[in-house]
Amino acid sequence: MSAPETSTAASRLSLLLLCGIGIGAGVLSGLLGVGGGLIMVPAMVLLAHFTQQHAAATSLAAIVPIAIVGAVIFGRADNLDIPAALILAVGSIIGVQAGARIMPRLGDTRLRIGLAIFMIGVAITMLFA
Amino acid sequence: MTLPEIGLLLLVGLTAGVLAGLFGIGGGLIMVPAMVLLFSFDQHTAQGTSLLVIIPAAAAGSVTHYRQGRLVVGGALALAAGGVIGALIGSTTALTLDDGLLQRLFALFLIAMAIRLLMKAPT
Repeated sequence: MSAPETSTAASRLSLLLLCGIGIGAGVLSGLLGVGGGLIMVPAMVLLAHFTQQHAAATSLAAIVPIAIVGAVIFGRADNLDIPAALILAVGSIIGVQAGARIMPRLGDTRLRIGLAIFMIGVAITMLFA
Repeated sequence: MTLPEIGLLLLVGLTAGVLAGLFGIGGGLIMVPAMVLLFSFDQHTAQGTSLLVIIPAAAAGSVTHYRQGRLVVGGALALAAGGVIGALIGSTTALTLDDGLLQRLFALFLIAMAIRLLMKAPT
């Protein structure tokens, strides 16, 4: 499978659809401080007929301007810790490169289930903290 | 910041980055709770800081994906056009919310995302 063809009315409709998906992901990203990929990727796969890999790659690029807008607005309200962000960013940039390289080889269900259980544990801790 | 704290932050960033590359997420789902639970950040500062980290991390991941031919540029532009408007609405709203309420909202979103991850068909 390949990326959607760019032609005619169908592609104009899909661009509009992607724009709508972007709005939803952007609201969530700004509201909760996440990238929005977890919303964009499935929406792109289900509604805009992207492959999982193209959706993940494409959404990551869209996250850049989305996060910039959010960071600027939070920053103006003094809700940023820049030293912590720098250290986290160093780790993230190394990690994201590694993650992107191993993605095509990844098919590990156990990793996903483990991550999901961990996330639920963290969420419960946050709810009652 | 003490040296162990710096080391722990690096490790949190690394973990978030790997997961971002793997699942196409910004890694915020990992970083925000880590900052709140391990470093006692308030929810708003954790979220703002997370967004700041996501910028270079997502940019670096995008470059790798682009080189490997998986990035659909027109699609990314359309997503970004809507995304910027959404981000304005979302972050302005977040700033009006009480810190404890925002933390609970985040926790509920985390649970929803975990359930989605669990329900995904085995690959």
